[in-house]
Amino acid sequence: MMQQQPHGVAPDLAQLQSTMHAIELACSSIQMHTNSAAAEATLLSLNQSTRPYKLCQFILDNSQVANARFQAASAIRDAAMREWSSLTGDDKKGLIGFCLCYVMQRASSPEGYVQAKVSSVAAQLMKRGWLEFTVAEKETFLHQVNQAIIGIHGIDVQFSGINFLESLVSEFSPSTSSAMGLPREFHEQCRKSLELHYLKTFYCWAKDAAVSVSARISESGTKVPEVKVCTGSLRLMLQILNWEFQPNVTSAKAGINVFSPGVRSDLTASKRSDCNVAQPGAAWRDALISSGHVGWIVSFYAALREKFSTGRYWLDCPVAVSARKLIVQFCSLAGTVFLSGDEHMQQNHLLQLLSGIIHWIDPPDAIAQAIESGRSESEVLDGCRALLAIATVVNPILFDHLLKSIRPFGTLTLLSNLMSEVIKVQMTKRSDDETWSWEARDILLDTWTALLMPVDTSAGNTMLPLDGINAAANLFALIAESELKSASASALDEDDGDDYLQASISSMDERLISYALIGRAAVNVTIPLLTRLFSERVALLHQGRGIMDPTPTLEELYSLLLIIGHILADEPEGETPLIPNSIQSDFADTVETQNHPVVILSVSIIKFAEQSLNPEMRAAVFSPRLMEAVIWFLARWSCTYLLSEEIGESDLHLLQNSRKTLLSFFGEYNQGKSILDIIVRVSVTTLLSYPGEKNLQALTCFQLLHALVRRRHICSSLVLLDSWRALARAFTNEEALFLLNSVNQRSLAQTLVLSASGIKNSESANQYVRDLMGHATKYLIELSNKSDLKIISQRPDVILPLSCLLERLRGAARASEPRTQRALCEMGFSIMTPVLVLLEVYKNESTVIYMLLKCVVDWVDGQIAYLESRETAAVVEFSIRLLQLYSSHNIGKISISLSSNLISEANTEKYKDLRALLQLLSSFCSKDLVDFSLDSDESQSTNIAQVVYLGMHIVNPLISLELLKYPKLCHDVSSNNFIQKHIDVLASLKLISSFIWQYFALLSHMLEVYPETVGRLDSEAFLHVLGTLDFGLHHQDTEIVNMCLRSLKALAAYHYKETTSGNLGLGSHATPVKDPRGDMQDGVLSRFLRLLLQLLLFEDYSPDLVSPAADALFPLILCEQGLYQKLANELIERQVNPSFKSRLSSAFHMVTNANQLSCNLDRMNYQRFRKNVNAFLVEVRGFLRTV
Amino acid sequence: MSDEEHQFESKADAGASKTYPQQAGTIRKNGYIVIKNRPCKVVEVSTSKTGKHGHAKCHFVAIDIFNGKKLEDIVPSSHNCDVPHVNRVDYQLIDISEDGFVSLLTDNGNTKDDLRLPSDEALLTQIKDGFGEGKDLVVSVMAAMGEEQICALKDVGPK
Repeated sequence: MMQQQPHGVAPDLAQLQSTMHAIELACSSIQMHTNSAAAEATLLSLNQSTRPYKLCQFILDNSQVANARFQAASAIRDAAMREWSSLTGDDKKGLIGFCLCYVMQRASSPEGYVQAKVSSVAAQLMKRGWLEFTVAEKETFLHQVNQAIIGIHGIDVQFSGINFLESLVSEFSPSTSSAMGLPREFHEQCRKSLELHYLKTFYCWAKDAAVSVSARISESGTKVPEVKVCTGSLRLMLQILNWEFQPNVTSAKAGINVFSPGVRSDLTASKRSDCNVAQPGAAWRDALISSGHVGWIVSFYAALREKFSTGRYWLDCPVAVSARKLIVQFCSLAGTVFLSGDEHMQQNHLLQLLSGIIHWIDPPDAIAQAIESGRSESEVLDGCRALLAIATVVNPILFDHLLKSIRPFGTLTLLSNLMSEVIKVQMTKRSDDETWSWEARDILLDTWTALLMPVDTSAGNTMLPLDGINAAANLFALIAESELKSASASALDEDDGDDYLQASISSMDERLISYALIGRAAVNVTIPLLTRLFSERVALLHQGRGIMDPTPTLEELYSLLLIIGHILADEPEGETPLIPNSIQSDFADTVETQNHPVVILSVSIIKFAEQSLNPEMRAAVFSPRLMEAVIWFLARWSCTYLLSEEIGESDLHLLQNSRKTLLSFFGEYNQGKSILDIIVRVSVTTLLSYPGEKNLQALTCFQLLHALVRRRHICSSLVLLDSWRALARAFTNEEALFLLNSVNQRSLAQTLVLSASGIKNSESANQYVRDLMGHATKYLIELSNKSDLKIISQRPDVILPLSCLLERLRGAARASEPRTQRALCEMGFSIMTPVLVLLEVYKNESTVIYMLLKCVVDWVDGQIAYLESRETAAVVEFSIRLLQLYSSHNIGKISISLSSNLISEANTEKYKDLRALLQLLSSFCSKDLVDFSLDSDESQSTNIAQVVYLGMHIVNPLISLELLKYPKLCHDVSSNNFIQKHIDVLASLKLISSFIWQYFALLSHMLEVYPETVGRLDSEAFLHVLGTLDFGLHHQDTEIVNMCLRSLKALAAYHYKETTSGNLGLGSHATPVKDPRGDMQDGVLSRFLRLLLQLLLFEDYSPDLVSPAADALFPLILCEQGLYQKLANELIERQVNPSFKSRLSSAFHMVTNANQLSCNLDRMNYQRFRKNVNAFLVEVRGFLRTV
Repeated sequence: MSDEEHQFESKADAGASKTYPQQAGTIRKNGYIVIKNRPCKVVEVSTSKTGKHGHAKCHFVAIDIFNGKKLEDIVPSSHNCDVPHVNRVDYQLIDISEDGFVSLLTDNGNTKDDLRLPSDEALLTQIKDGFGEGKDLVVSVMAAMGEEQICALKDVGPK
């Protein structure tokens, strides 16, 4: 129906009319839901037709149906983007001009969405042509816009102009731009150009427009039409201030000199905060700072606020909201926009803003009251955000100082009072729905965090002024009170759901970190306070035993332990945390160790923990949940304080007073070892006396014990403790420990083996490991030798201890370290035969099979680097037998079950098994990279590449291409645990993608590192490898496509290098062969050359793939130059349009000839070729894909 | 123990015990459990507490291994559950009768003729066709608590 109009021939009016009616009809039938399929087809054909501009312009000009005009605008956009490279310069400018005129001329049209659409089309077209238009051409358009914004054509046109600039800025901003199918580089150039040459101008236009209408608004009220213009301008200004300014744009060597002084103010560089700091740079100083513009916006808002003080609705009016947001954004201004030598400039700026903002938040109590009785909270929330913004850009001293010139107290005091008020509101209303007080509390907590978070740990702690410290102390007392109150109130709530652990500890973490920062700002007050609160609760428990329900007190203690843990110590993130700065320095005058507040607090908690060893107390007081907090605290505390290594007797005098006191008190020569003993005994208790409490045991194994054995000097103390020896003994024979669940079992075995690093003598260390793991290997050997194994093997009372011991062996295998390597190596060799026997017996018991496989995988992974060549050969032989055995059991096997659920479980298990097998092969690959073995006898060494290919050859038949796809997940919605179901689905997706990833990673590693071995594969194996690559190139996952491209590059480069030096390379695989029907089949490289060209030119892919694709294309072209020429010629010949033809042929010429490209596969040439391909794609992809 | 279960025991084969007690906390996903006297495979385990400061309990969702029905149970973590003894034996398939019964070759050279093929139509055709083509098929039979069912099938190549 849509007729194509030949270029330059004017379509006749009647035809335009009839097409317009068809479009209008389609639009209205879509709205009426009648015959919508046909209507959609009509609109689609409009969007896809060639050069529909005349028609669309006709519709925009003449149609009475707003939707039809909307569709026409959208068709102009789509067609122009598609056909851009074939439009003439005049066409392009004509389209932009048309759209701009259209929005200006119809500025008063009631259908705002059509106007907005046309405006955004204009913005997109303008950006598309931005790099080709001359400055003068751009000026012409912008002049028109400027005229509109000045207001000479009236309010509506003024608004349209601002609206257009909003679209334009958002189109140029990287986070909001439309992709347009162009490379990132294009967008980056546009962004840079706009930022350098136009952004400030736009800002000034918006500012002038806002100023020009402000007087009229303040005089007459918000109902006047000027409000629309004012709101729009404020919004545009905010949008521009939110622009992600790139530092150094004015420097000639942009992007090179990263250390130049102008980059960022040192204050803001490392502060963590959600606040978006605006750093427009020195060029903006006149517009933002010197012009007195800030004063204007503050007083404008104040004037309106005064005027509408009676109307509650006004605070939420768009103009008020925009003005406040702009003021908040001004607070976060930083960097070179202020003169670097002149501190007062920023201070004055902030003071000016604060003097306006102060009315939104002060006095806090009155404002909180007003909100509780119905006033809008948006203003006070913006006030909080402004405080956050200021806190992000200045240091605490300056922050506090700001307010002092207009109030008798500092900003910190105001912050503290405001937050206290918010917390009081929260305490009075214990409800779960999020009210304003929650939001305000979070913003204010962020403010404290921004102020107190140490910028750089070496620079000492952030000092607050004295009244700031008092403010923090008062606030902290209130926070503690409120937390305790909510804890005891929630103690009797039924706690459901299995993400209980996260809910209780992790998600509270962020809030607790902020609390801890506030608490640490006034340690002199807060630590004694916490000690008092803690001992009061403990005393209450003792008094109330047997008389009253302890639960509320238990929950209070639980909260207190979390808070105290956060204040006393930092999160151990893989390294040993230091004592927090304020605790190190603020107690400098305390001399007597026993009276040090931190010692008192720590000791009282450890003594409390010790009481859990008493069975009666344990039953009465130490609930599993309280015990979790105790273990968590001990783990966190001991990382920082216990048996610190840095402290020898000799250098004690070098340390700061408080730190010295603490570290020596908890050190090796004082209380350290006895506290370690208590900790171990408490841990043993949680493992033995809390049967089935998985969370508690997980905390004990992973957080506490694991953290202890990570530090070698603690291990040396540990292995000497009777309690640790007792734990090791219990591990081998205590039945209760066999009941730990699998991950804990594994972790405990790993921990115990790791502690051997504390044994000085290497032989004793190995003996310790043998004693520890002997029971497990012995059991496996005995079991596998039993004559009735086949009969008893499937009994639950055999499977349970077997699984438990396999988990232990796996845990021990993961604890591989040079010192105990011998013992672990023997352990593995001794169970090889049993493993193969069990693999046979349990072939139908998938859970046991998986444990056996994982045990082998982890052991090989830990040992492979140490193995001598003879041992390597044995391990290789064992692994290959294992693969063969697994394969023979599973190939061609079909599970049958009535339950789809069980079938899908069986599938999942298949993925897990295969992933484990691939992991096994991958760890072999590492032998060629990391090898600690001592023998250098090359003749005996195993050819790893061959082994891995052999392994893949065994595994491959089990991996169908079907397995490498993401499955369609259909799941049982009727499940009564819907969320759990979703978690399961996500988990299985994660499993599958990790499997796919593992597979392609192994494949591409092999092809990249050992391309020569591929050449020697037999043709069936070779075809499987290539089939997989082919499949991988079309995978949804960019990372996988990338891996396949890397493999291709390696293959082609290998072949090219070999053949140019006269060798065979891939040999017969690369030459054309006759297929069974006698047709000539391309060699593999030719096949991939075709495939890759097709992909690059015609298919959709992520821009990130262009460079790796170019890297693969380059050697492919070199290998198959003849074919490449032929393909290029075919493409060129296919073009009907002569101008396309010549452009395409010159583009093809440039790919292989531009930038002095030569035939060498070196880094330089790859770079050049990447550049050429990029240019090539920008030039031709647009029209190739459409014609 | 209910009377019903005792009845079950009496019917059972002599010798092997049908179920074993095992702490609820040690039963994990993909393990077996007895719920309402049926042998099941666990597909979901979650833990919760009886009140904030109470003890842990396990919530099991499990599928009956024979009839595919879903069953659920909540047990305190430290208590024992019954775990069924699920035995699997492989037999060679020697014949398929008209009425869907199969004839299997046991280890001691006898035949076992009391099992039916699965009722799924597509699968059935596949098996019959494969068998007809002379493929060597091995059948895994799963037995627990006195019931038996074919649970897997494997093609071990041409005869």
